[in-house]
Amino acid sequence: MMQSNPIPALDPNPLPAPYWVFKLLLIVTFVLHIVAMNFLLGGGVLALTAKWRAKNGGFGGRLFSDVAKKMPVLLPATITLGIAPLLFVQVLYGQFFYTSSIVMAWPWFLVLAMLTAAYYGFYYVSFRSGQHGGKAGGVMLVSVILVFLIGFLFSNNLTLSQTPARWATKYFADPGGWNLNLTEPALIPRFLHFFTAAVAVGGIFLVFVALANWKRDREYARQVLQFGGKAFMYATMAQFVVGLVFLVSLPRGLRMLFMGDSPLAATLLLVGITGGIAAIFVMSGALRNENIRAAALYAPGVLAVTIACMAVMRDLLRDAYLSPYFHAGQFAVATQWSVLPLFLALFVAGVILWLVMMRRYGLLGGKKEIERPQP
Amino acid sequence: MNYPVWDVAFGAGLLIALVAILHVFVSHFAVGGGLFLVVTEHRARRKNDAALLGWLKKHTRFFVLVTVVFGAISGVGIWFTIALISPTATSNLIHAYVWGWAIEWVFFFLEITAALLYLYGWDKLEPRLHLWYGWIYFGAAYLSLVIINGIIAFMLTSGSWTKNHEFWKGFFNPTYFPSLAFRTAIALALAGIYALITASVEKDAGLKARIVRWCAWWIVPSLAVLPPLGWWYIRRIPADVWASARGPMPTATHYAGFAVVLLAVTFVLALLSLLKPGRMHLSFSLLVALVALGAMGSFEFVREAIRKPFVISNYLYANSLYSTQIPGDGGFSVDEVNAAGVLPSAKWASNRDLAGSNLAGVGHEIFRVECESCHTANAYRGLKHYIALRQWDESKIQAMAGGLEFMHNGVMPPFAGTDAERGVLAVYLNTIEPISAEAAVAATDGQTVFDQNCSMCHRVNASDPLFKNLTSDPAAAGEALKDLTALFPLMPDLKLTGPQRTALAEWINAQRSAKGFGNPAQGGK
Ligand code: HEM
Repeated sequence: MMQSNPIPALDPNPLPAPYWVFKLLLIVTFVLHIVAMNFLLGGGVLALTAKWRAKNGGFGGRLFSDVAKKMPVLLPATITLGIAPLLFVQVLYGQFFYTSSIVMAWPWFLVLAMLTAAYYGFYYVSFRSGQHGGKAGGVMLVSVILVFLIGFLFSNNLTLSQTPARWATKYFADPGGWNLNLTEPALIPRFLHFFTAAVAVGGIFLVFVALANWKRDREYARQVLQFGGKAFMYATMAQFVVGLVFLVSLPRGLRMLFMGDSPLAATLLLVGITGGIAAIFVMSGALRNENIRAAALYAPGVLAVTIACMAVMRDLLRDAYLSPYFHAGQFAVATQWSVLPLFLALFVAGVILWLVMMRRYGLLGGKKEIERPQP
Repeated sequence: MNYPVWDVAFGAGLLIALVAILHVFVSHFAVGGGLFLVVTEHRARRKNDAALLGWLKKHTRFFVLVTVVFGAISGVGIWFTIALISPTATSNLIHAYVWGWAIEWVFFFLEITAALLYLYGWDKLEPRLHLWYGWIYFGAAYLSLVIINGIIAFMLTSGSWTKNHEFWKGFFNPTYFPSLAFRTAIALALAGIYALITASVEKDAGLKARIVRWCAWWIVPSLAVLPPLGWWYIRRIPADVWASARGPMPTATHYAGFAVVLLAVTFVLALLSLLKPGRMHLSFSLLVALVALGAMGSFEFVREAIRKPFVISNYLYANSLYSTQIPGDGGFSVDEVNAAGVLPSAKWASNRDLAGSNLAGVGHEIFRVECESCHTANAYRGLKHYIALRQWDESKIQAMAGGLEFMHNGVMPPFAGTDAERGVLAVYLNTIEPISAEAAVAATDGQTVFDQNCSMCHRVNASDPLFKNLTSDPAAAGEALKDLTALFPLMPDLKLTGPQRTALAEWINAQRSAKGFGNPAQGGK
């Protein structure tokens, strides 16, 4: 027997800035997180595919070790860029997110162990990428599977956080927290939608790898470009089916938002799909003409529009799921003017310093300052 | 009870402690070790010491594998864990301090980037630029400590925040600066302690000796300043908070002792390493690290223990109830729950029927929402153990639960709820360690009677009200002990038997004369 309203009460502290500030930060940092995650997961999956296909010679082995060397950087990027939305999702949706996390506490806690294992696995592979032992592929596979499972757990938790009606039965069935959200009809389609996107964006990541090698080794770069570009195209085509299934798996009322009930949601869907189609065409043209500029700049540029639309749609969907329990007006707001400007100033300074750091190292189009090997 | 309680079989408190201790042990290294890297690199370059540089490069890799990987994940781990175990506290903290964390995140981002570029830059960058990344790393890492320290110290000593809810008032709270200084010293010591590990596997004995001596320069002075800094820290903690660490409550007292001893051992081991620095073995360096981990862990235990009964001092109890009623608390303050009852207040209880047949089940629900944030039934801080130790039967548990906040110098929050609910809680607790009514009054020697019935609140010393005020005439004392609530209204209404009362009165007198407490004040009861 539960109380009629299972939603935990807010705490007494007001929001320390207007609602939209957190909403904006949440969506923007989530996009950054998800793109880093896509590079990691999609790049990992494609690198393994390339290596596996390379058994009979080819560029796959080299691509594998090129990507493997990047994994120990992509994982901390995913984590670090995940911490920011983790903060903001708690600010706005703590009542839901904490509760669903507790309901599936052990699997959620195990994310940490899985992250650690995946991380050390990636380091192992990258330190070993020179010597061609048989183990590197296996370890990489395990790490990539762990990353895949972590993503699946995130989808479990986030879908559960949006369906409070399910909490009580699950919680009381096992207060020890051995629960998932597998009975949610939209779970698998939703996660597949993320995974397919990861492969597509992973393809874009390979296009960047091709770009980095374009001047040094054209032959290799061409092969990587073709492989990555095709992966992007096929995955994005598959997305039309997966995305449709996802849409169909949503409760009717929510699905109808995207079919016209909400003009904003419907427009975003339309723009998003159009962007996807356009990106496929741009990429296909780029591959035909071996135009690295189009593949590495225009296609991702168009795709960025789609990703932005999708991220906002995801957020609209959450608020629609939660509309019986949650609305922006529920918060008292007392902006912390004594801190907020400090954050903004440090944030801007941080971004500038970060860019300088990257460029002085020769990354992001900077020229590496005087190289001199050291002892 | 606003959020569901995660039922961790071996103890939620233990899980938090585990994650937190590992994290602080690594994250303080991440701060101090950053300075160690750049200072050592400067030194090696000035002296043109190629061998030292070669080692430092390997040490950097170790540093990154420990701090960037494990440090970062365990930091996320703390977030995950506190949100699972103390969602109410986390929710309060996030709303009050999200901008603090957002600032810390900026530093964290710079820190991770700089660490990786410093690592990968060893073979690629010109020395000055390489050092530039190192300094940025250290600056960002230290600043993230500067920020997070404010929030951690706030939880221990919330200062005037509880009155005005102002960000900086809570941030620069009474223990902010001592805590920062203390942690800085720990960070510097850990820099040397971890470096011993990579030094110990070095083959070249001359180089090894140089590194070990260099490490001692980090460890020994830093540990030497810890006692005065610790003293400063303690002095800034309000007396009533610190009292619980000095009292009979075992956790804080034990761990404070451990911390001191283990720190001393670390200090001695660091000095010992100087005897034959060129021959230091890996096992020795791991021993030093292990002892230091023990010391650090004990320190964290003390901090957590003296913070109890609060998670956020003078604001929120460890079991997620607000200590006083405030607007917006959702009805989850002690007073409101006392008035309304736990069962009607708790959002997460499946069994609320006080008139039903499964009273133990209802009691279990109450135990879960009020006690399980710190206790388990029979594992970590298991009640089974305590009940067996004190031989409390159901009625005694119910009586005692009325005064939880007085026990052990006040480490526990009061029981919140109605008398009937307290009774059902006792029914449940009696099922995990069934003690009969006869067993509860079986003891007849004074010491045992005292231990089982009085020792959680009273201490054997001259100023304790029991020893100060109870009349020394055994017959009158035995009579007075019949009705404890008449002696003092907040005492539980325990029904000691006649022989128990006599034995207790005699034992108290014996203590008085053995320890020279003197006789009770005139008119003592
Ligand atoms: C390799 C590891 C990771 C993978 C594969 C991954 C993947 C994902 C996926 C697929 C989602 C969307 C789930 C959905 O909406 O159904 C997600 C959301 C999210 N992730 Fe990650 N993630 C990873 C690590 C992390 C880490 C370490 C953090 C935090 C430090 C994090 C923070 C978040 C947050 C806060 C969201 C939700 C944002 C929102 O609801 O708006 N992720 N992640």
